[in-house]
Amino acid sequence: MNNTPVDLSPFAPVLTRADALHLLRRATFHPSLDMVEALVGKGAPQAVATLMALEPPVSVPSWANDPPALTQQTGPPLWAELQKWWIGHVLTTTSVRDLMVAFWQNHFTSDYIVVYASQWMVAQSMLFRQHAYDYPTLSEQIVGDPAMLRYLDGNQSVKGRPNENFAREWFELFSLGVGNYTEADVLEAARAFTGWRVMGRTAEYNRQLADLGQKTILGQSGPWEYNDVIRITLEQDACARFIATKMIQTFVDYYPSDDAIAAVAYLVRRHAYNLRPVLETLLSSNYFYATQHRGALIKSPLQLSVGLASLLNATAVDPASIVQAMIQLTMTPFYPPTVQGWKGHHNWINSSSFPNRQRFGEAFLEGRQMGTGTRLQTTQQTPLEIDLVSVVRRLPQYDDAEAVVAGVCELLLPVETSQEQRDILLDVMMGGLPASYWNIDETTANSRLRQLFQTIVRMPEFQLM
Amino acid sequence: MNRRRFLGSVGSAGLAVTTLPTMIDSIAVKALAGGDRQWAQLLGGADGASDRILVLIQLQGGNDGLNTVIPMTNDRYYERRPNISIAKDAALPLTDTLGWHPRMNGFRALYDEGKMAVIQGVSYPNPDRSHFRGTDIWLTATDADVFGATGWIGRYLDVQAPDFPSTLPSSPLAVQIGTSLSLGLQGPKGSMGISFRDPEEFYRIVNSGGSIEEVPSADYGDTPAGREVRFMRDVARSADVYAEVVKGAADKAASSSIAYPTTDIASKLRVVSKLISGGLKTQVYLVSWANNNFDTHANQVNTNDPTVGTHANLLGELSEAVSAFMAEMKELGFEDRVAGMTFSEFGRRVHENGSYGTDHGTAAPLFVFGTKVNGAVYGSDPDLENLDPIGDMLVQHDYRDIYASVLLQWFGQPRTVAADVLYRDFQQTALPLFDVPVSVAERGGGRDVLGFSSIAPNPAMDDVVVRVNVAPTADAMLEVRDVRGRVLHGEPIDTISGVVRLNVSGLSAGSYVLTLRSGSAATSTLLNVQR
Repeated sequence: MNNTPVDLSPFAPVLTRADALHLLRRATFHPSLDMVEALVGKGAPQAVATLMALEPPVSVPSWANDPPALTQQTGPPLWAELQKWWIGHVLTTTSVRDLMVAFWQNHFTSDYIVVYASQWMVAQSMLFRQHAYDYPTLSEQIVGDPAMLRYLDGNQSVKGRPNENFAREWFELFSLGVGNYTEADVLEAARAFTGWRVMGRTAEYNRQLADLGQKTILGQSGPWEYNDVIRITLEQDACARFIATKMIQTFVDYYPSDDAIAAVAYLVRRHAYNLRPVLETLLSSNYFYATQHRGALIKSPLQLSVGLASLLNATAVDPASIVQAMIQLTMTPFYPPTVQGWKGHHNWINSSSFPNRQRFGEAFLEGRQMGTGTRLQTTQQTPLEIDLVSVVRRLPQYDDAEAVVAGVCELLLPVETSQEQRDILLDVMMGGLPASYWNIDETTANSRLRQLFQTIVRMPEFQLM
Repeated sequence: MNRRRFLGSVGSAGLAVTTLPTMIDSIAVKALAGGDRQWAQLLGGADGASDRILVLIQLQGGNDGLNTVIPMTNDRYYERRPNISIAKDAALPLTDTLGWHPRMNGFRALYDEGKMAVIQGVSYPNPDRSHFRGTDIWLTATDADVFGATGWIGRYLDVQAPDFPSTLPSSPLAVQIGTSLSLGLQGPKGSMGISFRDPEEFYRIVNSGGSIEEVPSADYGDTPAGREVRFMRDVARSADVYAEVVKGAADKAASSSIAYPTTDIASKLRVVSKLISGGLKTQVYLVSWANNNFDTHANQVNTNDPTVGTHANLLGELSEAVSAFMAEMKELGFEDRVAGMTFSEFGRRVHENGSYGTDHGTAAPLFVFGTKVNGAVYGSDPDLENLDPIGDMLVQHDYRDIYASVLLQWFGQPRTVAADVLYRDFQQTALPLFDVPVSVAERGGGRDVLGFSSIAPNPAMDDVVVRVNVAPTADAMLEVRDVRGRVLHGEPIDTISGVVRLNVSGLSAGSYVLTLRSGSAATSTLLNVQR
């Protein structure tokens, strides 16, 4: 737990490069140099407004409009296409909304093995996109979302013999958290969530099939239906605290203090769960930019891989190879390990995944696939070039070796490096030659830079954001 | 400028840094791996005294106990599960009233050989029906209302290796086969375990690139980033050291005639077997399914045949994998050193739901297997009449009673250690799951071993002669308990002769527990009574 004062008032200074990178790493998947340059010198609220105003369109793949297939017999699963579609999108666009889509994917989880139909997974993703900041609407609509109905058995829950799967996870994982509801609430809510049937690409609520009887949920009695459960749940203080906690853990600090949760939960309630103004406040705040919170989070494999591609201006990479790397780093897109989603932070790091993350970074910097070593391709099926010289030319003072080391460290690492670290890295880059031999126009420059970048991506600090 | 010049020349490209000498940190792991003398020092201490191995098999998602060990003479079972119950004639024989699920031939065979303990009704007071809380409770071994941060295995291993992680034992203390690392292995000073899917792959991942040791950490002070960097450096160091050790063991693994099924869980147990036969000294292994596979809310059985379907396949995978693993351990001569235990966060509700499935419940059977296991059914058949207010089964055995059995009997830990690890003394309720002598040294009674030397006849009808090993000067007691733990008889032992005569003609047929107590030490075994 962290005792940094919870100061949600706007961060007064204009953003430096490090500040802009902090914001971009946390609020988007896309810390590109273009965006860094666009945000440097702006005040925090203005920078956040600029970012949130970016609303790049997403194109839905043509197969998403086909009738959903539920089994191998009725059609191909299209899971690889689903993964490529989503990763291809986040690779090439900068948007806070994308991060919120990922937030909801890991909140209202579903997985393609159970759901099968990728058409439904796309539809669910589009639902998250449409209501990315609107928790009440999203909550109501997720009840009847075909992928969710299939994932948590809502389509098989019948009046008289309800299936409790969705009702339990609604309270435990989607709204209140353990300890804030009773077993009786689960049983009663399961009754209220009956009545849904999937019909092709959508689902239908049929009151004839729903249990309309008297129920008591979280202390309130009435002939409650599914939307009443949502309404009653969102009235609970615990719900605002639960959503606030998840937002802080995603954007600021994995171990928030009670004060921080209370302060953000207050905002959540004040804005009636409209999370857009909440996020604007959070991302502009002194709390967010506090030194204490720099590098306080561990990147997900998505943030690690897409983030590196973005920094290296290598987003033309075939998204299939990013998907493959993410799978090796134990984050299979659209296939979380359980309904709890990926737990994140420390859970990303173990004796296998940590060295694997190092190998990913090293290989990507050579334009190669981790593990296999095959050459990375662009979406146009040409070899992917990692042009580090061009990246470094955009840093200030690229003709000074020490400035290059400092600039690359700032680009790749969320914490300040020590003089000792930079001295060693300078040695790595110069191969023992004096710093004055640095010349970015020399043919050796790219391989020197590759040594530097590879050594930095091996550092544990690179796994932080 | 005070620059540390240690690099010779930069290679043309690629991973040349790998080969550079490393002298940055106080612990230069890469150099050690290359044969530096400090290697031996680093790996010097803290090897656990026990050569016994525990293999934990997690049935993630909440295994349906009533369809695993079938109460096949209980009308209530068939009444509450009209569509998913397993018919009596489909179940495999276990006792007069209980049957194995038809896919559990392997478990049945182990039971018939006396190597399988079935503990009925395992749960805890105020059971939690959340997967994630439930799992955390089982892994941390805490009361239902306590949110623990360390695992029971992690705490046990912390006692075994007090200098961890500054001194790393020669073998990893715990190994999880898979891509994640369990809370159960988390100790007070970080994770006591490592995880990997395959020894070769693990070795390649660690050794195919540069090391973390090239650039030392800056002083980040007590910040979140500083803590995370230290955490990752510990993980990386363990990986660096143990990738080599694990591969070395796998390379030395003995071959056998056993064919494993091609399932994920079987391939994981196969890796465990390789590491054991290759000489890894790891005490605890953990394997599990990759997801909440046992969470059978819907379609746990096929609509036209309840003996087949999702749950049947899972039990088949479990039973066949364990069967192959134990057969290999037997063939390779490691059988006596290995015990296995299954666990799952909860059982499922007594009544089925409307989707050929079951929702989250409470108590369920747990299995412990091995040659040193006292094979029996512990506890009474599921009581489907007296249920909790939600309609779920009541607890018969606290899951920590079984953990205590493992710590006290299998790992031979003193009562005080078991009580520290489990946050409470469960010795009185520990079940006699293992037939292993225990030392009474902790009591100050020297190195004497407390144990049974013979029980004859067994099974018995009336007179039984029990011979025990106990120090002649000790005070010792022999207790007779039923398998629910109720004490039926207690008798002081003449420690000079070490002989106790019992008459069991008043007991009905079944298994009974004989417990030998001396001070704080106790050991138990089973006595069977025939009529």
